[in-house]
Amino acid sequence: MSIAANPDHNPFGLQSVGQYLLRYAVIVALAGVFAFFSFATTTFLTSANLTSILVNNFTLLAIVAVAMTFAVAAGGIDLSVGTSVDFASFTFVSLVLAGYPVGLAILLALVSGAAVGGFNALLISGAGITPFLATLGTLFIGRSTQQLLTNGGNPVYLPQTGISPLFSFIGHGHIIGVPVPLVIVGLLIIVAATLLFRTRFGRVVLAIGVQQSVARYSGLHVPGHIGLIYVISGLIAAIAGIILTSTVSVYIPNSGGAFMLNAIGATFIGTTLSREGRPNVPGTVLGVLLLSIVANGLLLTGLSFYWQQVGTGLLIFIVLAASFLNRRGRVD
Amino acid sequence: MSADIDTLPGYTSGNGTGHIVRWLAGFALRGGSLLAFAALLVFFSVAAPFFFTLGNIGNVLGQSAILGVLAIGLTIVIIGGGANVVKGGIDLSLAANLGLSAAVYATLVSAGYGDGVAIAGALLTGSLIGLVNAIAIVVFGIVPLLATLAVMNVVAGLELVLTQNTVVSASSDFLSLLSAYGPFDIPVLAYVLVIFTGIAAAIIQFTPLGLRLYAVGAFPEAARAAGLPVKRMVAGSYVASGFCGGVAGILSVSYLSGSTTGAGEMLLPVVVTALLSVVFSRRLVPTIGGTLLSTLLVGFLTNGFQLLNISSTLVSGIQGILILLVVAATSLQRGKGAA
Repeated sequence: MSIAANPDHNPFGLQSVGQYLLRYAVIVALAGVFAFFSFATTTFLTSANLTSILVNNFTLLAIVAVAMTFAVAAGGIDLSVGTSVDFASFTFVSLVLAGYPVGLAILLALVSGAAVGGFNALLISGAGITPFLATLGTLFIGRSTQQLLTNGGNPVYLPQTGISPLFSFIGHGHIIGVPVPLVIVGLLIIVAATLLFRTRFGRVVLAIGVQQSVARYSGLHVPGHIGLIYVISGLIAAIAGIILTSTVSVYIPNSGGAFMLNAIGATFIGTTLSREGRPNVPGTVLGVLLLSIVANGLLLTGLSFYWQQVGTGLLIFIVLAASFLNRRGRVD
Repeated sequence: MSADIDTLPGYTSGNGTGHIVRWLAGFALRGGSLLAFAALLVFFSVAAPFFFTLGNIGNVLGQSAILGVLAIGLTIVIIGGGANVVKGGIDLSLAANLGLSAAVYATLVSAGYGDGVAIAGALLTGSLIGLVNAIAIVVFGIVPLLATLAVMNVVAGLELVLTQNTVVSASSDFLSLLSAYGPFDIPVLAYVLVIFTGIAAAIIQFTPLGLRLYAVGAFPEAARAAGLPVKRMVAGSYVASGFCGGVAGILSVSYLSGSTTGAGEMLLPVVVTALLSVVFSRRLVPTIGGTLLSTLLVGFLTNGFQLLNISSTLVSGIQGILILLVVAATSLQRGKGAA
């Protein structure tokens, strides 16, 4: 702690190197695990495996984590991202099963995810409930709703035949050689980063996230912006629900919740990349990449599945410790 | 973080309607939450004749023991860390802690060690997890939400490593004592919950130490200025919470006759129960007694629904609506933006 706090440190000395390593803890960790798994296993550094990391580990978590980044950037949190994933998935499967066109089903699936966000917006901006509790309430209500809709939690399967090819194209198709989910995620990252950091709307949201009362006294319409953020978060999470459904051709009630904690982890790991410790889209993406590589790499080492979880947890812990140690040095 | 001007008491009291709404909301909350609880009990007693019997109430208490002990641990952390869930006190590792402590206990017993060693092992495991949280938060300065999230992952993984994701069954004299029925045909676990709550409440509510914990949580700067060891108090609250996880682990082994693989499922109910605690206090602060009441509320709701044959899938939805109602009323009462 005290090392970084020393104001007249030698800029080329060891202290400064240490500080740099701490500051870029995510990138150092990313390079470290990449190098480690490349040497430790023969199968990691192959193009097939690297593609598999991006398609199977990275895509869905990245989408949900970007949704989470919006909420955290506005000074809140969205525990119900998984609920939006589930609702979109349920709507998508039900409509396709009922014979509606895939395009319309996608549109309504997006709407249903955004509606979950709209419910959060009502609670947070309308009733003045803190985001953590409001979205926790939504999570619980969503859980019961899904069980009621599915007779106690039965999966909804799609038949193998008779479904429009557009349906499986989203999950399994390629556009000029690139898997469709990756194209979607790439576009989403660009749009999200632009919206949050290159538009007036984004700057207002970031200002609210830093100091809400100051934003209010500056005459910004705080409740409106915060409400919109949760709708956007629900909408983005719905994209993950659509891709997930198209990949596995089934809706499993309450399965989206699995993304929530990892999305929070990735978002906060990503904050370490910003000088002010603020949430940002590139940081979140690197955080997701780190988690994906670790998940995939540990699998390849043949380590027992149980040790993989310990390893992932320890790594997140170390990255967080490094970055918070560094941040505290700046603040003191 | 800093108090907004319009949230200071008295500032907006000139505003007639807002004042009345706030007063009504406050009245409804203070008297209302207890009243609603009583109404719920009366409703279930009328609808399900078996509900209001000593045996059933004892059973509910016994079934709520594990949730109650965990929620008390979380309440201590919330008192010491402040109620802001993202920046304040929270311990997401509690449910995983229960799982690992239970696994340690069951493994030690099934490996032939005595109850004394097993109890010590479980309590030590729980407290150690709390200590790791405390170090992460106080020494490294990681936000509690994230620190305990990372620890939760590690602990859940360690539990899997230890049990290989199987149920380790265990039986011993102490375990059968815990899972038996005590005086008045009430489960021993019910007595354990009452006694544990009593001890925790005595420490938190009626000693200088408890008062200091409230001071540290409500206004850390003022507490530091007054000479309180803020960091040590916060660290202590996480160790205490970890200890509660260890106790809950032991109770869980006796309740299920072994370790369980689904401990993580307890996390959200524990968070809800501890947060609901606030409604059962006059000044809307978390208290140990309030946590016991909210534990019982959740317990009676679940039990009443079972007796009435209402689908248990509704329970989580009703818990969700309950949180929202409570919190909406709380924030109305405190004035907008102060929630």
